[in-house]
Amino acid sequence: MDDLEKLYTTHYAAVVRFLYRKIWDADRAEDLAQEVFIRAMAHRPEKPRAWIFAVAANLARDEARAAIRRRKHLTLLKDDPVPLSTPDPSVEETVERDERWAQVSGALAALSERDREVLLLWDAGLSYPEIAAQSGLAVGAVGTTLARARKRLIEAHDKTEYVADAARS
Amino acid sequence: MRHVPEDELHAYLDQALSRSQCVEIETHLAGCARCRDRRDDTAAIRDRTTALLNRMTPRALIIPPPFDSLADRHPMVTRAQIWARRGRRAGLLAAGLLTAVAAGWGGRSLLDSRELGPAPLSNLASLSLAAPAPADPVADFHPESSPIPIQEKTPRLRVTVPAAEPRRVENILPAPVNMQLASMSLSGGTTVANTAVPATRLEAGSPFDRIWRSVQWEEALQIAGSGLPFIEGLPVIGVLVHAGTYGERPMVIVAQQDPGGDIIQSIEGPVGKVLEVLQRQAASDIHMSEPARTAPDYVDGPAGIRRANRMMLVTGRLSVDSLNALARVATIR
Repeated sequence: MDDLEKLYTTHYAAVVRFLYRKIWDADRAEDLAQEVFIRAMAHRPEKPRAWIFAVAANLARDEARAAIRRRKHLTLLKDDPVPLSTPDPSVEETVERDERWAQVSGALAALSERDREVLLLWDAGLSYPEIAAQSGLAVGAVGTTLARARKRLIEAHDKTEYVADAARS
Repeated sequence: MRHVPEDELHAYLDQALSRSQCVEIETHLAGCARCRDRRDDTAAIRDRTTALLNRMTPRALIIPPPFDSLADRHPMVTRAQIWARRGRRAGLLAAGLLTAVAAGWGGRSLLDSRELGPAPLSNLASLSLAAPAPADPVADFHPESSPIPIQEKTPRLRVTVPAAEPRRVENILPAPVNMQLASMSLSGGTTVANTAVPATRLEAGSPFDRIWRSVQWEEALQIAGSGLPFIEGLPVIGVLVHAGTYGERPMVIVAQQDPGGDIIQSIEGPVGKVLEVLQRQAASDIHMSEPARTAPDYVDGPAGIRRANRMMLVTGRLSVDSLNALARVATIR
């Protein structure tokens, strides 16, 4: 098993998740993740881990632009977590899951693009120097950005949760 | 000593600081209750962020398709191939130059030979070496001067099937049928019992006679590759494989026996086919786990390449909760 194949095995899911949180389409995220690794096979980058996430971010950006061109506005509430009809969990469970999902995606959307990018790269397992190289930040600024992004994510999430609770009561 | 700034606490918890920075922070934390509290708060924020992001996962189970299949789907040029092509091009150029030189030299020798006698043998040899090289089908391809080509229709390994109407599944749930299996041992304590399994019978003349095949574990591994689902630790009592069409990976049913003697089937395959099988599972006491999506197929059918989603689930007479728990620990080999 060569290095790229090993990287594929260990990082495929992380790349899919990273893409999914940018484009909110599970199938498309898998397509693009495979596209990333296909490109890696052709280029054989020196720092493959940072490279695949850089390419994934570019593909996600292209995807968003294409969606705008097609006048299909991306909506963060687009529903595609597990689009299977059978067997259905209870309606209550489904509603609760969708609500939780919408709250987090809404909170993520409330972040600035840079904060979101840095947070998602960190969650995908990239190191501070790798995040810095990709986002154009100084390595020392990654911690500051992450601290702000984490705080804002939680604040935005708690706010939407509070609003939802208030609406229910 | 100064208190630890918040961004440094994040970097410290993310293990992004040097050893000396960590020592400095830890020394300070040992003597500063306020910073210890702030560290705990930061750790809580960090953990909560991870938990929130974990909710944003597209599927419960993300399984990469086989690595080799990527190359099959999009025949890209690898770096080695690029260098090989550059080498071939350089070789062709050298051959061309050699041809020109040799032709000039040979021509002059021939002219000279009319005056001075036969040409030297070495000149003839160089002429034969400079013969035109066979055409290289990829010589004109310049991978680095153009974007990575993603072809809509690319050559790939195909499962050859006779051109016939799509088969309809009729009146039968494929299941292990009184299979006498040889003993097999698997890793992780899973064993294959040499057991006769009472199960739904295949009707004589059913289309499944030809489509479903009962295979040994090793053969199933070869056929299904990374798509063979099973639950670690339970004895495997049968494996059924259903060939895919147009490059689809096969559908697989692995039957295992739980300690209570119940048969549990792990089913992995194209969504439509799996649902078709489930619909035929008419017995009311057969339950199924929540399905998990598995790596899709890219089917090269008459209408071109399209994605075909696949899923995996576990069925049996156990409660849904138990089956969900089993599905969560199921392994896709």
